[in-house]
Amino acid sequence: MNPLVEQKLIATRRHLLGSMAGGIGAVALADLLAGDTAGATTPVPSLADPLAMRPPQFAPRAKRMIVIHLTGSPPNLDLYDHKPELLRRDGEDCPAETIAGKKFAFTSGTPKLLGTRRQWKRCGESGMELSDAIPHLHRVADKLCLVRSVHTDQFNHAPAELLVYTGSPRAGRPSLGSWVTYGLGSENANLPGFVVLISSGVQPNGGTSSFGSGFLPSVYQGVQCRSKGDPVLFVSNPPGMDRQLRRKSLDALNDLNQLQAQELGNPETVTRIAQYELAYRMQASVPEVMDISRESKQTLEAYGATPGGSSLANNCLLARRLVEEGVRFVHLFDWGWDFHGTSPDTGIGDGLVQKGATFDRPAAALIEDLEQRGLLEDTLVLCTGEFGRTPFREGRTSKSKILGRDHYPDCYSVWMAGGGVKPGLIYGATDELGFKVAENPVHIHDLQATLLHLLGFDHTKLTYRFQGRDFRLTDVHGDVVHDLLT
Amino acid sequence: MVHSFANLQRNKHCLRWWYLIAASVSLCWIAHGQVVKAADAPSFTRDIKGILSNRCIRCHGPDAEDRHGGGEHGLRLDTFAGATEDLGGYAAIVPGDAEASELVIRITDTDADLVMPPPEAGDPLSPHEVDLLRRWITAGAEYEPHWAYVPISRPNLPAVVQEDWPRNPIDQFILARLEDEGLQPSPEADRVTLARRLALDLTGLPISPEAADAFVADAAPNAVERLVDRLLTHPGYGEHMARGWLDLARYADSAGYADDPPRTIWAYRDWVIRAFDTNMPFDAFTIKQLAGDLLSEASLDDKIATAFHRNTLTNNEGGTIDEEFRTVAVVDRVSTTLSTWMGTTMACAQCHDHKYDPLTQKEFFGIYAIFNNTADADRRDESPLLTVPWEPVEAKRRPLEKQLAEIIEAVPEMQRATPKQQLQPAGEPPELRPLREHADRLRKRLAGIKPVTVPVMSELRGAKRRITKLQYRGNWQDLGPVVEETTPAVFPQPVLADGQRLDRLALARWLVSPANPLTARVVVNRLWERLFGIGIVSTSEEFGSQGELPSHPALLDWLASELIANGWDIQAIQRLIVTSATYRQSSKPTADLLARDPENRLLACGPRVRLSAEVIRDQALAAAGLLSGKKGGPSVHPPQPDLGLKAAFGQGIDWKTSTGEDRYRRAIYTTWRRSNPYPAMATFDAPNREVCTIRRPRTNTPLQALVTLNDPAFIEAAQGLARRMVREAGPTASQRAGRGLRLVLTRHPRPEELTRLVQLYEESIAEFMADAKAAKAMATDPLGPLPDDLLNHYGGDVTQATAALAAWTVVGNVLLNLDETFMCP
Repeated sequence: MNPLVEQKLIATRRHLLGSMAGGIGAVALADLLAGDTAGATTPVPSLADPLAMRPPQFAPRAKRMIVIHLTGSPPNLDLYDHKPELLRRDGEDCPAETIAGKKFAFTSGTPKLLGTRRQWKRCGESGMELSDAIPHLHRVADKLCLVRSVHTDQFNHAPAELLVYTGSPRAGRPSLGSWVTYGLGSENANLPGFVVLISSGVQPNGGTSSFGSGFLPSVYQGVQCRSKGDPVLFVSNPPGMDRQLRRKSLDALNDLNQLQAQELGNPETVTRIAQYELAYRMQASVPEVMDISRESKQTLEAYGATPGGSSLANNCLLARRLVEEGVRFVHLFDWGWDFHGTSPDTGIGDGLVQKGATFDRPAAALIEDLEQRGLLEDTLVLCTGEFGRTPFREGRTSKSKILGRDHYPDCYSVWMAGGGVKPGLIYGATDELGFKVAENPVHIHDLQATLLHLLGFDHTKLTYRFQGRDFRLTDVHGDVVHDLLT
Repeated sequence: MVHSFANLQRNKHCLRWWYLIAASVSLCWIAHGQVVKAADAPSFTRDIKGILSNRCIRCHGPDAEDRHGGGEHGLRLDTFAGATEDLGGYAAIVPGDAEASELVIRITDTDADLVMPPPEAGDPLSPHEVDLLRRWITAGAEYEPHWAYVPISRPNLPAVVQEDWPRNPIDQFILARLEDEGLQPSPEADRVTLARRLALDLTGLPISPEAADAFVADAAPNAVERLVDRLLTHPGYGEHMARGWLDLARYADSAGYADDPPRTIWAYRDWVIRAFDTNMPFDAFTIKQLAGDLLSEASLDDKIATAFHRNTLTNNEGGTIDEEFRTVAVVDRVSTTLSTWMGTTMACAQCHDHKYDPLTQKEFFGIYAIFNNTADADRRDESPLLTVPWEPVEAKRRPLEKQLAEIIEAVPEMQRATPKQQLQPAGEPPELRPLREHADRLRKRLAGIKPVTVPVMSELRGAKRRITKLQYRGNWQDLGPVVEETTPAVFPQPVLADGQRLDRLALARWLVSPANPLTARVVVNRLWERLFGIGIVSTSEEFGSQGELPSHPALLDWLASELIANGWDIQAIQRLIVTSATYRQSSKPTADLLARDPENRLLACGPRVRLSAEVIRDQALAAAGLLSGKKGGPSVHPPQPDLGLKAAFGQGIDWKTSTGEDRYRRAIYTTWRRSNPYPAMATFDAPNREVCTIRRPRTNTPLQALVTLNDPAFIEAAQGLARRMVREAGPTASQRAGRGLRLVLTRHPRPEELTRLVQLYEESIAEFMADAKAAKAMATDPLGPLPDDLLNHYGGDVTQATAALAAWTVVGNVLLNLDETFMCP
């Protein structure tokens, strides 16, 4: 046999065997093959309507997505990952092997192990252990898909957050939401396809880059909706102009642009006319969808939302309203999860309980609300920070009464719910002290590959040609974690 | 012409447009001055290289670490030697014998395990591609060096039939191609259109109707040349040119990352503006920015120029390791330099050998080594800083210095500063104590005046120099062998004197050496792109194998050789382009032409390009009569909506709006905060400038419509425009509407346009006469109360005047939102 052919055959067999061992199920493999024979490539957005709906590469498990980002990164060891052994050895020096050769943001020398101060409960049929800082999530435990073995490469906030949402710790790449909107378009032309909602008064660590479009056209960047002033910048007519007069002025504008279109015959003129009509419709639909006072008292109560206010609760409710109206991707950022213990509100004692209360109620309400409305089955919800927190006391606050944890990249917990992920699943584990992933590691790029898979994309094929190279969210990495999928 | 989604529309073969054009019979590849008609044998550059590059080279290319198949070193298909290597009785390519070539066997194999490329790498090659490869191998499988790495030579001008059409050599190249395609150039645009096009292209500002009329009336045969000369010396020219360069330089007024604190670096922005205003030759412009500090007798300006590479981000987040982010900045300097000057993406070689071009990881770190010895190190204080004289600061210092000097002149002992923790130097007479206290106060006040600074490059010397090591997988902590300063071997090497180090200065000189095959091509291509909306090489950021082929290769080389020959005179190249018959064509395409060449690559008609974010704003303010002509100085804060947010770990992102003329400065002076770009500009595709941006996309979205319809800055402009309509035109509604249209579009209105605008005016004033509150808001918020002279146009009737100005504001708002307003005509 021709040695080239032989080599290739061996490689192919090895590839298949390796994939099986890695846990690719039959369905997923079929998906991949189907994708190939169908010539699956990135759908090409049209010039005239770049947000027009486009089919994914294969049948998706989720059609839309909501991300709750807890900016600063919550202490997973006090919320999702109970380590009795760590508590037993609380106050002891960190074992040398756990910190040897490692750098930490605010800790040097030999720090002391820090056990959790929380009470824990096994919840639901799955017996998922969750802490008392997030009691409302206890009742939806069987709907959560909890991954305790995520790891990242970065331990500074901005680079780590950019890695989670753009696949690279450096600025300049498109964000997850922009990739998804680029791939799928929007279901409702009268609303932005990718909406960003920020609570607790502070921007994401990566600034607008955490929801930017990088080198993708700017039409795919996240549109920030606000609770004060215009819900979308400049969506309101100027003082003195009512909707009726705006209509008249747009009629005149359209007539004049039509004259121009006839004169020059340039298709972009026709596109621009359409964009102005879209803008006009957006002027009505955006304030409507952003008005939570239209919700029932029970719903407001369930979320803990207050019309006219600004909170994660309001934003969770808005997220449901937005996806219900066909917004493709809603990205929530909530500041205040950097639990160093430098002040009472960043201590893992009362501080965490107070912060947890602003989060667990609306997050649980969001899942239940989506489910009641039949949206959960094809809406994917992800809740994460940018990295984990150390199993030891942070260096600067090691003598303080307030207990806090430093940044930690080697393992942490995230949860998902809805569209295509196994409910009630606890996946992966950390070692007994919470320093390392003990089983089923999931790198950020694997998580990204999985999210895209759920949305109907082979992450290696959702690409954009820039500077001569086909770029993708997962760079050159990432494996779909099929065990997480229904 | 719309190119906003060129990238999206391009299918995975980046040469699709070429094939589209090739569908017509007479395609030609023009190289080295010769016109070669497409014969039966496929051309490597035109037909084959793209297939190999896109479908094969990733696994069978320059990257030795990741090379598959073949013999001991893996199979290489990017070189003749590699492709024809004897693999034990057979070879991937057997020149002259396609059927014996393993490559042909494998690309046509129907077995999924054998076919190349393997299914996971994508679809099989199309029958057309297979046929091209077959015929190319049959004809001898001749490889050609990558076109952009071939030395620049000056092509001969091609012959044309319509000899009276060309105005200069550019036209000769364009027309030759059009004639080959059987296409006719378009007629020259009318003078008013040309005036607006030239003014917007060269200064980023509209031309006044009066100046346009004077140009129309200028019967001199060189009227266009004279207007061009006026525009090239216009004070707005440098600001407009600088905008493009600052995208490359990733200039911003903040340091980046989470807290994104303010950074004072505007002296560099002003340096760039001055350099363009004085038409600094591009070679000097290059050398000063990359290595001005290393020039013998470097001037203050030369040092300011080096802030080019201090525009890299600084990470001030707590708990960061400065060395990590210093290395990130150095990597960015390597990438930005290669992108900006050589259109070469080298970022991938940070982690591994380039997949498509002959650039190795070691060579990446060879350039890294050149940039690795500056004193900056991701410090919060941005040191080293250079103090820059700035008149407002000097004006504060001057009276204090004068007083101090007078004191010292009168009492020379006062020259000595007071020793620390003493009231007077020992032995000084006590009666001098009040004078000494006064002098001390002056000194303290002087010390308290914060000077203007700019971060600069400063070379480390002697023992402080860093040793560069290769970073495995681009990881700054995973170091390999020591790497010396080098430039990539594929290019002609820099000429160094004995013992001279390959430092930043030598690198800069190498970039602008006539032997460098890329810089001049890259620079003229960007100049072309600015004017035509799309470059001769449409991928202006990528001149390597993965970039697109030039539409007019010989024209590109001719312009590049002209740039070198004229001493890197940028304005001379611009003058050539904008006075060409090609540029002067009407931009009105026929339906036939639109169907045949939708991107206008052949240039059978003139350019029609959407204006940049900056020009859209500046034009509106200029039409409104509000635009300030003030040049330079600290960045300003035009109105922007409050967001009520803080940056992560940082200060609030809202700002206090500038007052006076600073509210109406050109967009280039707007504070550029990376984590929070000015909303109106970001919506119109301005980048956040975290990284070097070679080419902005040009989108067309509903959010843009909301900006120009409702942003208070654009409403203010509409109000200003309304006031000019009333002040500057005759009393009829039609005259006023016509004046408004001319102020925005320069051209004369058409009757049906006037009718429609007047109808809107009448509909609007009817509403405003019935609603005085709305009228007042529309006419005056935020521009301010109507001045008396305007009221006088309405006989002092405030109600009437307010309603009328409100209605004209509605009309002005429409004028500022016309499709034509956003397009360079």
